[in-house]
Amino acid sequence: MAQEEGQPILSEISCQEIAQWASAYLDEHVRDERKRQIALHLAICAGCETYVNQIATVRDVVGMLPKAVEQPSDSQRLRQAFVARTRRSPSGG
Amino acid sequence: MNVEVSTVTESLSHRMGAGRKPELNQSASVANGEVALLARLRQGDEGAFDALVTRHHSALIRMAMGYVADREVAEEVVQDTWMVVIEGLGRFEGRSSLRTWIFGIMIHKAKDRGVREKRHTTFSSFESADDEGDEAIDPSRFHQSGEWAGHWAFPPQPWDDQTPEKLLASQQAVTAMNRAIEALPRTLKDVLILRDVEGVEAKEVCNILKITETNLYVRLHRARERVRQAVEMYLEGRPSAV
Repeated sequence: MAQEEGQPILSEISCQEIAQWASAYLDEHVRDERKRQIALHLAICAGCETYVNQIATVRDVVGMLPKAVEQPSDSQRLRQAFVARTRRSPSGG
Repeated sequence: MNVEVSTVTESLSHRMGAGRKPELNQSASVANGEVALLARLRQGDEGAFDALVTRHHSALIRMAMGYVADREVAEEVVQDTWMVVIEGLGRFEGRSSLRTWIFGIMIHKAKDRGVREKRHTTFSSFESADDEGDEAIDPSRFHQSGEWAGHWAFPPQPWDDQTPEKLLASQQAVTAMNRAIEALPRTLKDVLILRDVEGVEAKEVCNILKITETNLYVRLHRARERVRQAVEMYLEGRPSAV
């Protein structure tokens, strides 16, 4: 595998930078080079591993929060409008 | 070193993209499901219309609230949005997904309404304050100078494996997270609701909000970080700041 322009990988990225990249990293929206830098850093830094795990937990839990199932206050009117539109169009027959 | 890297990468890699189907399959299945849904809607299937409304109404209201003065106006905006959707179904060409189209209509209407209510100055100050400016994470958690500059001064304390279940089982934790989400500035709330709450894939979120993927991740991470802070405060028994 080619060297990335001879830059030292480990010293290239700080915890503060890892913390900024955490969401993009988790969603796999980082370039291969950056991904490798982050993975190397996470291998030796418990603080960053914890942080990235916490962001992943937040991402997953937010998606599982109970959702209020709301209906339009005037859903009857909407449905009537929907039915009326269908009757006007040929496919509604 | 290589062994260590692969171990950690494996332990975290199960979390990368966790809880989501691979994006390609997801878009394919959404597209297929959408063709069928659209056909039913065009045939006047009321059940399909009810399902469509139920599926998106809450998120539409939640997002509209960021643009207009109050809940009542948000409901009007979303009601108007549905009327436009009903009238436009016959002309909808499917160049975007149905969801992108519906959310686009809502945002257009909400912005229009917000501007008429002279809230546009608030929008621009929101956006400049919360887009690319400050650090996502409190800089005081890191060493600011010396040999350890940029490294954790106050690293986060690990959460245990049961944390997701515990958080979801606790009404107090759920309230703390919901409050943190509601307190987000609009630009951050929009991306969190679409991407993490509604599970919309990244590219589609960018289409709906007309932002770049880089911008999306800057905003998304700020939003997640604020929710993470709320969870951290809850777990440490500290009162929430919001």
